[in-house]
Amino acid sequence: MVNKRKTTLVVALIAAAAVIILAWRPTVLIYGLQAAGLYASIAVPMGLILGIVHIVNLAHGEFLMVAAYATYLLCKSLGIDPYLALLPVTAVTAGLGFVVYKLTIRQTLKAPELNQLILTFGLGISMTQIANLLFTSQTRKLSFDYVSASIDIGELSFGVYNFVFLGAALLMVVGLRWYLTRTTAGKAAVAVGQNPRGAAIVGIDVDRTYGFVFAMATALVGMMGAMLITRSAVFPTVGSPYTMKSFCLVAMAGIGNIPGILGASILLGVSENLLKAFRGLRGWADIVFFVLIITVILGRSIRGKKA
Amino acid sequence: MILDIKKLETGYGKLRVLRGVDLSVGRESVGLFGPNGAGKTTLINAIMGMVRPWAGSIEFEGAPIGGRPTHLVARAGIALVPQERELFPGMSVADNLELGAAYVPRGRDIIEKQLDTVLSLFPILKERYRQLVGTMSGGQQRMVAIGRALMANPILLILDEPSLGLQPSIVAEVFDRLSVLKKDVAILVTEQNVRESLRAIDRGYVIENGRVLLEDTAEGLAKNPHVVSAYLGL
Repeated sequence: MVNKRKTTLVVALIAAAAVIILAWRPTVLIYGLQAAGLYASIAVPMGLILGIVHIVNLAHGEFLMVAAYATYLLCKSLGIDPYLALLPVTAVTAGLGFVVYKLTIRQTLKAPELNQLILTFGLGISMTQIANLLFTSQTRKLSFDYVSASIDIGELSFGVYNFVFLGAALLMVVGLRWYLTRTTAGKAAVAVGQNPRGAAIVGIDVDRTYGFVFAMATALVGMMGAMLITRSAVFPTVGSPYTMKSFCLVAMAGIGNIPGILGASILLGVSENLLKAFRGLRGWADIVFFVLIITVILGRSIRGKKA
Repeated sequence: MILDIKKLETGYGKLRVLRGVDLSVGRESVGLFGPNGAGKTTLINAIMGMVRPWAGSIEFEGAPIGGRPTHLVARAGIALVPQERELFPGMSVADNLELGAAYVPRGRDIIEKQLDTVLSLFPILKERYRQLVGTMSGGQQRMVAIGRALMANPILLILDEPSLGLQPSIVAEVFDRLSVLKKDVAILVTEQNVRESLRAIDRGYVIENGRVLLEDTAEGLAKNPHVVSAYLGL
């Protein structure tokens, strides 16, 4: 009863804040949601790995970078649109993820967690340096007309293309939720995440499930890498900031809470854009992310102590 | 014989726990008794592929299974109800039961039939069908664990200390259910509550310090002076 009242209060506060922002400066909400879509669509695959395989993949952003380069090369050499390159690139990153899991991560799963952190950190650095050697640090960019599509509503004019990331994030959350709760393979993956020993006892191949989930997550990141190139330049460290942001969003949502990542991303995206709305504070927008994560973690610790 | 173990030796690191165990289970209910640290759980872990045998053999239905991965042992027809239950606490009773059968060929094809059997054996699970397992009491979780194992339609059902942490009335209920089950499935049960389990078994082994000390029928064990003084507290 108390929980229900609390949830109603939080929802009412969020709705009130959204109405006030919409009335005051609608673009804060619009661009906030667009940014949230991008953050969530990249963070959800990391949440999937953390929730089931129980490792923090610090090379997460580097898989995004590999996909972005692969898309760039395909588009440049074949003259195709990134959305046409999306399928082969997704398949490539899925394969790369599976190989990386089998050759490296799998070997450290029984070791203390620090080993997996160091391993994925090292993998991330290696992937960045290989990209540096192959492509140099020069930024590469593709331009597409549809990216600058905008809409006018009365006196309000705003770009709409970036809503595609919000759409991707929503599809990802709904699709994963369906997969994990409605299919036998998905339920088995959840079971492995909750109790790998119990899963093996009922005949589930835990190692294969880990490999599949890791590959699925890298495939989703690959998909986002292919889409990212439509709006961003590609360079060796393009993925690094997304690793940290994704990790913090997953931590804010709570391990295993995939829909929560979308909520945390909306909070982050709208807060950043709210700060950007004040001329003197624009440069401080990046700090929102640290303030939010510290607040959430502190709040959780205090609640945990009380409990 | 369904399960045939010969001269099994195994342990953890440099610690030798089992020192040449011989044990067999046919179409019957077999008890495995012994004090804490005797090697009962290690023996079960070795059968289930969680501990690699150092020497000796484990055969199931005539095929060697020693050292095979746990999921393959389960798929071959051995279902385990572990001491710690090892359920999926964030999932419903329905999902836990479904996963008990989904990956085992013998259970997967008759999932509806097995579900009817399990729900009629444990009616409480029908009432709590959509409840998250992690929110259930220890006794109810034990029933989910037994139900999940039965969903696989196993040839051999292994129960490791099924009465651990349960109140006496639930312990009696669990052993009542086992007495019913032994008509359809071979059972190997380890237990410290020897008095209750003697009701449900046909034959038993007493294992101490990693070796089989005694092997006899349930009646024979109930009269054995060592069993009477060490395990029945008389």
